[in-house]
Amino acid sequence: MYRPMNVIEAAGLSKSYGKDSTLVEALRNVSFSIPQGEFVAIVGASGSGKSTLLHLLGGLDRPTGGSVRIDGEDLYALKESQRAVFRRRKIGFIFQSYNLIPVLNVEENIMLPLLLDHRQPDKAYVRELIDTLGLGDRRKHLPSELSGGQQQRVAIGRALAYRPAIVLADEPTGNLDSANGREVLELLKLAVRQFHQTVVIISHDMNIAAEADRVLRMQDGRLVGDSRGGVVQ
Amino acid sequence: MNGYGALAGKYLKQQKRRTVLTVVGILLSVALISALGTMGQSMKDNMVDQTIYNNGAYEIRYTVATPELLQTLQHHALIEKAGAIRKGEATPLAKGYSLELAQATTAGLELAPVHLLKGRLPAADGEAVIEEWALAQLPGTPTIGGKAELARPDGTKQTYSIVGILNNQRNNMTYGMGSAYTWLDDEAALATVPDTRLSAAATFKKGVDISAHLPEFEQLSPESFDTNTQLLALKGETADKSLNKTLIVIFGVLIGLVVLSTIAVIYNAFNIAVLERMRHFGLLRTIGATPGQLRGIVFREAGLLALYGVPAGLIVGCGGLWLVLEAMSAAGFNILTFDGFKLTLHVWIIAGSAVVGLLAVMLAAWLPARKASRVAPVDAVRGTGSIVRETYKRVRLPSLLRLLGIEGNMASKNIRRNRSKFRITAFSIVVSITLFIVFHYFAQEAFKVAVDDSRDDQVAFQMLSSFTQAEQGQRDGPVQDLFDAATVADIAAIPGVEHIYGRYNLPEASIYLPTAKLSREFLEKMGEDFFLKSTLGGQEIGIVPAYTTLYDEERLKQAQPYLVAGTADPAKLSETGAVLIVQKVKPIVFSEKKKINMNLSELKVGDTIALNFGTQEKPVMREARVGGILSQAPFTPTLLDSELYVIGTKQTYAALLKGIPFDEASYGTALRGLDIALADGADAAPVRQALQAMAAQDPSIRLIDFVEEQREQRQFNLQMKIFIYGFLGVIALIGSLNIINTVQTNLMLRRREFGVLQAVGMTMSQLRRMATLEGVWFGVIGAFWGLLLGIGISFLLYRQLNNVEGIPFSFPIAGAVISCVFALGVGLLSVQGPLRKIAKASVVEELREEA
Repeated sequence: MYRPMNVIEAAGLSKSYGKDSTLVEALRNVSFSIPQGEFVAIVGASGSGKSTLLHLLGGLDRPTGGSVRIDGEDLYALKESQRAVFRRRKIGFIFQSYNLIPVLNVEENIMLPLLLDHRQPDKAYVRELIDTLGLGDRRKHLPSELSGGQQQRVAIGRALAYRPAIVLADEPTGNLDSANGREVLELLKLAVRQFHQTVVIISHDMNIAAEADRVLRMQDGRLVGDSRGGVVQ
Repeated sequence: MNGYGALAGKYLKQQKRRTVLTVVGILLSVALISALGTMGQSMKDNMVDQTIYNNGAYEIRYTVATPELLQTLQHHALIEKAGAIRKGEATPLAKGYSLELAQATTAGLELAPVHLLKGRLPAADGEAVIEEWALAQLPGTPTIGGKAELARPDGTKQTYSIVGILNNQRNNMTYGMGSAYTWLDDEAALATVPDTRLSAAATFKKGVDISAHLPEFEQLSPESFDTNTQLLALKGETADKSLNKTLIVIFGVLIGLVVLSTIAVIYNAFNIAVLERMRHFGLLRTIGATPGQLRGIVFREAGLLALYGVPAGLIVGCGGLWLVLEAMSAAGFNILTFDGFKLTLHVWIIAGSAVVGLLAVMLAAWLPARKASRVAPVDAVRGTGSIVRETYKRVRLPSLLRLLGIEGNMASKNIRRNRSKFRITAFSIVVSITLFIVFHYFAQEAFKVAVDDSRDDQVAFQMLSSFTQAEQGQRDGPVQDLFDAATVADIAAIPGVEHIYGRYNLPEASIYLPTAKLSREFLEKMGEDFFLKSTLGGQEIGIVPAYTTLYDEERLKQAQPYLVAGTADPAKLSETGAVLIVQKVKPIVFSEKKKINMNLSELKVGDTIALNFGTQEKPVMREARVGGILSQAPFTPTLLDSELYVIGTKQTYAALLKGIPFDEASYGTALRGLDIALADGADAAPVRQALQAMAAQDPSIRLIDFVEEQREQRQFNLQMKIFIYGFLGVIALIGSLNIINTVQTNLMLRRREFGVLQAVGMTMSQLRRMATLEGVWFGVIGAFWGLLLGIGISFLLYRQLNNVEGIPFSFPIAGAVISCVFALGVGLLSVQGPLRKIAKASVVEELREEA
């Protein structure tokens, strides 16, 4: 079976908002690719375009120009509904503010992408996932009954539930204390190893960046740095 | 910006759409309340005017009065005005008509139902006013300024000069007895020797508690004392005040429901406005706004909205009503059959509506204001997650929605996610549906009471043969039909004529009914010895008055829909000599102070009834079999008090009357008149012309024209419908606003959540399905409780109505179905707007939504 070397391929990505005098170019001609199993951190000052980039990689927004291929599929050649289906199967999201569905319990939140696909979840895998996340005794709890760290672990679980091609995390530790932040980061790294996931993480935290396989640096909407293990590419 | 309070106006300006929606909600509610109140009060005012027009302005009356009694009244401290009328002697006119001239004092003329068409009232002996139609029958057909020789009450003739013409009265026309008045001097009234023709009438001074003093006036002459019951009832001055209490309860419930739904509409609008701005309120708190100031801002917003909505509502309510009435008048309608309906604006109704509207707004703003004031400043600056603290409830109740896949499953959880939110949403829908059902039910019942839907209201012309002429030379043989088949056929051939029903004059009869066949309920309510008792063939019987009526084939056709048992087939009835009966009656039950609808007897098809066409002393007994039972007589709008309808064909009655001497059955089964019904929408003018020509040829035929009256009746029905459906339309609008507001609130507050769902891969169509299911399910839940409450309150109103008019409770099925379908439809449609908005916005925007 053919598998592309690179699970993410961004080519000439640009995104602008507004018109004429109010024109803001959030992203200018960004191209890069990420092979499977890599743990990538995107860093940059606020307003540098890193969130916009992440949203475009996840198919949440539409680029003004350029293309994104995930697992060989041109994301923006798909129709909106196809893109939603693609998202639940191939992309896992983790947000800074957890964004769990308040009416669903831990297990249901984690299984949500599968349920949306009208699919019976692989019970053994879900259990393994929940245990790995340390939520074994919180299975039936509602998000409002969990601490911030626990909620973010549920969000990680949701992102991994469908064994997606990529996991995109937007400041996943931003709302957590350092111990919980540490834990979340370890789990993400574990996911890369155990489930052979590709993880793209946005962070201000240079400590997190330091633990990444690769760091992409953004400034004024441009990709200004790309280093692996501290080595500039 | 002169102060922090100006923030309120700025928020409202920013949220134009919602502001307009809320103002419209307030406007509609205030309009509805003021229009309902004004319409109700105007109807009452006009009913008073109309009652005075029909019955006279007197409050008490003595049908037989002595000069002393009259004098007592005239000098009584409580009496405003007392007048006397002396009944006249009939003056025979052409074609069997006659005219009765009464004498009346000046006050007597004011208190009696005397209505000038032209000219003036008599002010001297020798002057007279005469009814218009009767004037045409006087020799030489005089007019104002002319002379007529009429009989005085003492029987002597006198020539009067005619100074005025009176309006025609229907009853007088039907009986062929016109009325006329001449003047009676007060002194002369007092001086006359006592005679039974003198009657006295009086009104009380303003402010007198009439009902408290009635017994005292009754004592003056108990056997001839009488009140203008209808007028006193309308003025709230009856010994039995249940009518007014009923009206207050009914209008109170309706207005209460309108107020509740107003509160729900406004509460929802405020709630969403406050929830959406929680972060702003939090920020205001961080820069030093006190909770009281935040409350103030919300109340100030409410006040601003009321400032626009309340006056606009009053203008729209009263103005709209005025416009509708003006348009109806301009289109040639008589408003609700009142001659010259006047719309009276009462300050207390307008002020009351304004106060009620304002209170509703403030009450509705109270909870959101409290919510705004309770926001913690730290929540605003922390900027994490939802600033609105919701408590989520674990749902254990199984719901049918769960069968509908993940979307249904999530919808069911979302609906019950927050107890208070769920209650408020359900509450608004329930109130709307309840209001609709109750109003629809009430309007329907009121319509039933007010509208004559019997076949009788289709009769446009009556042709009667005057009795005296036809009787001549017919004393001995059987009486011939006074209209031959050829005449009937001629009339039937006139274009526009739909039915011709025969009129007959059957002799009176009573039924000797075995006591066992009388209904227990009737005897228990009306008294065991309500009917005279006797025995027949050794069996105890009650003597029940019979209402004998002959139905020709045309009439029997109309009876078919009312048949509850047996047959109404003329051939079968004639063949077996059987009759149709109506045993349902509606007497006033004194012990319960109301009319009650019940069976008088418990006869069954096949039973035999004994009819007495003679007197009790000299009975002429006949037997008839019950061939069929009707629920109501098709040509009588109301049920009888305590008589049994006995309807038979010509052959049946001919057999029954055989051998009965002429004096007991003067006219036998002879056809004596025709009721002519026109097709719907047929032009009456050519029919009238043709009938007039026929009547002119035969001096014994009298033609009576009901077209005008019928037209008024139909207009009345149409107008009732316009008002009812107008009010229902406004109620439906308020209800829709309510549902739209609540369902949309629920969606718009969850945009971020929808963003997340989309981010994790929910497609727009799945989202749409989930939201639509939520909207519809709220409709279902609201409909369920709304039905229960609506039907319950309808039943309560029915109990009130039942105090006045005994009617059976009819399940408000139409209102229930309409409102539920409507609620579901609106629930379904109201989610479409927010969904479109969500579909248009990018997921990223939704994720940034603050809520």
